[in-house]
Parts: sequence; structure tokens; C-alpha cells
Amino acid sequence: MEEREAIISWKVAGIALGLLLIVATALVKPLGVSTQFVVTDAAVMHAVAPAAAESNAYLAKYGEKEDWGVGYGWMLVFGMFAGGLVTSRLLRGRQPQADQGSMPAMWVQLFGDSRRKRFAAAFAGGVLLLFGARLAGGCTSGHMISGISQLALSSFVFGVCTFAAAILAAKFLYRQRG
Amino acid sequence: MSTLAIGFLIGCVFGAILFLGGATSYRRILGTLLLKDMWIIKLMCTAIGVGTLGIYLLDLGGLANLDIKPAYLGGVAVGGAIFGIGWAVSGYCPGTCVVGASEGKLDAIFTVIGGLAGAFLFSLAYPTLKSALLDPIDFGKVTVAELTGVSTVYIAIPMSLALLALAFVVLKDRYE
Repeated sequence: MEEREAIISWKVAGIALGLLLIVATALVKPLGVSTQFVVTDAAVMHAVAPAAAESNAYLAKYGEKEDWGVGYGWMLVFGMFAGGLVTSRLLRGRQPQADQGSMPAMWVQLFGDSRRKRFAAAFAGGVLLLFGARLAGGCTSGHMISGISQLALSSFVFGVCTFAAAILAAKFLYRQRG
Repeated sequence: MSTLAIGFLIGCVFGAILFLGGATSYRRILGTLLLKDMWIIKLMCTAIGVGTLGIYLLDLGGLANLDIKPAYLGGVAVGGAIFGIGWAVSGYCPGTCVVGASEGKLDAIFTVIGGLAGAFLFSLAYPTLKSALLDPIDFGKVTVAELTGVSTVYIAIPMSLALLALAFVVLKDRYE
């Protein structure tokens, strides 16, 4: 490809991510993201509808009236937003054109340029992602990257099932349409 | 330094790596899932290869704060499959949608909002799912080494080397 592939190569990103996982495991605990969506939901529910939050067996496990469950894990996800914000502001010019914007060219070619359609799919995808991640107990970071690195049985099962379903779904979406 | 500050700093580096390494790119994620563009899978194999070796060594020195997720296989398998479909439909995972949102990508922001809704839906379905998928077939917080009785070193080192070989030697992009 003629265009720059990304700001840093997969090699540099992969090695850096592996080292970051080692540092996190030594200092506090491995990386994870999806739990924090529940923590955020629980915090909002405790603020808006405390009775409903307390009666919800799952939300009640994350955060209470006094302490909203904002700990290491939540700060980590907040940090991801901050880190992405700063680096993207500083280095946007070096990001490949194809990776910018809210309407990916691949999507537009297949589904048209309706923003409503793309955003509806992004929303629906998000619902499935977090419903699935919470059912499985983790996501790409917690299960696949951190979990497989610790040789956890559950994470190998998650990795196989996730990739199988994702590949089938992608092939179905991008099948030859006649 | 407080645990909160450490979490924030680790998160900052994590977010920067995902942005800089192109992990928030729709064409790269879908390219990987269509088995054409190997960028993301090579990045992940490298990270897991390095991570497996490092965590093994940390644990030898008694320095690893491990966090093994329980193997309730029904929930993990069904949840993984639902997650995979969401990954292909949105082009993001829970971490990359947060970073994509920080870049100002509107589709990523919709995925974050959908994620909050999905986690909430799960909390409503939790009592039903717990008895159906979480409680039956639960092996607990077990590693493959403990399950098979093979010493960790004989799994961690070969797997780490195999993943690095996969990333650096075996996998090649397949564009027609």
C-alpha cells in the first residue's frame, strides 16, 4: 500500500501493549475495559434511581451510594479516553486518511452514505458487544489480551468463540450481493 | 502513587497505543475479520506473546497480581459469540470505541452509548442468565496448565514463541 499504514507499526504497538500489560500486572492487576461500562451504569442509576439500582442484583454489585465504584479500572478507561484525545489532537495529521472520520469508506461502499444507518449499526453493535462481554466476563482486553496471557481456560474459550462469530458475521455482512 | 493515578496513567498509554497503532480503524478491524488485512491480529499476537512471557516471569518472581476469569463455559461461549457479532457490526470493541470516541468519531460515540445500554440490558437479564448459563458447567478460575496438569513453563514459553512467530513470520496480508 502506498499510504502510510498507521502512525506506529503493529510491531511497535504490539510490543508496547505487551509491556504495558506486564507493568499493569506487576503494579495492580491486568488490563480490562468492559466492567467499567457496568460501573458507569451503576453510578448513573444510583444517582438517578437509587431504589432501582439497589434492587438490581447485578448493578448492586458495582458501586454503592457512597462509593460509586470508581477505582483503578474506571480510571484506566478514563485514561484511555484522555490518552486517545491528546495523541489524536497532536498527531491527527499523520493518521492515514482512510482511518479518519465517522463514515468508513468500506461501509459506505456497501451500505451507502446514510449517517443514520451507520450510527444505528454502531449503536446496535455496541449493545451486542457489552451484553456479550458481560455475559462472558470480559472483552478483547480483559479476556483475550490479559486472560490468554495468563493462560486462563475461560479466555481461550472466549477467544475461539469470539473470532468464529465475528468472522462469520463479517463474511455475512460483506458477502457478494447480486 | 495512588492506585487511581496508576490506573489513569496506564490507561493513557493504552489509549495512545490503540490510536497510534491503528486499532480504532474500521477498515483494519473488518479487514482482519474478513481475513484479508492481518494488521490487528498481528498486533494482538505480538501483545499476547510478549505478555505471556512477561507474566510467566513475573509470576516466577512472585510479582504478578493475576486475575483469572472464571470458566463458566456456557456464558463464556454464548457471550463470546454475541460479542463477536457486535464487533463485526460496529467495527469496535469496548476499548477501541472509547478511544475512537476521543478522536471525535461519531460512530464510536454511538457504540459507547450502545455499550452502556447493552450492559444495562445485561443487568436486567442477569438473574435469568445466571441460572441458565453462568452456574451450570463452571470450572472456576482455572488456567490451562492447572486443568491439564502440564507445568506452566511448557505451555507459556512455546505459546509465546508460537504467537510471535505467527505475527512476524507466518501471517501475511491477502489482498487480491
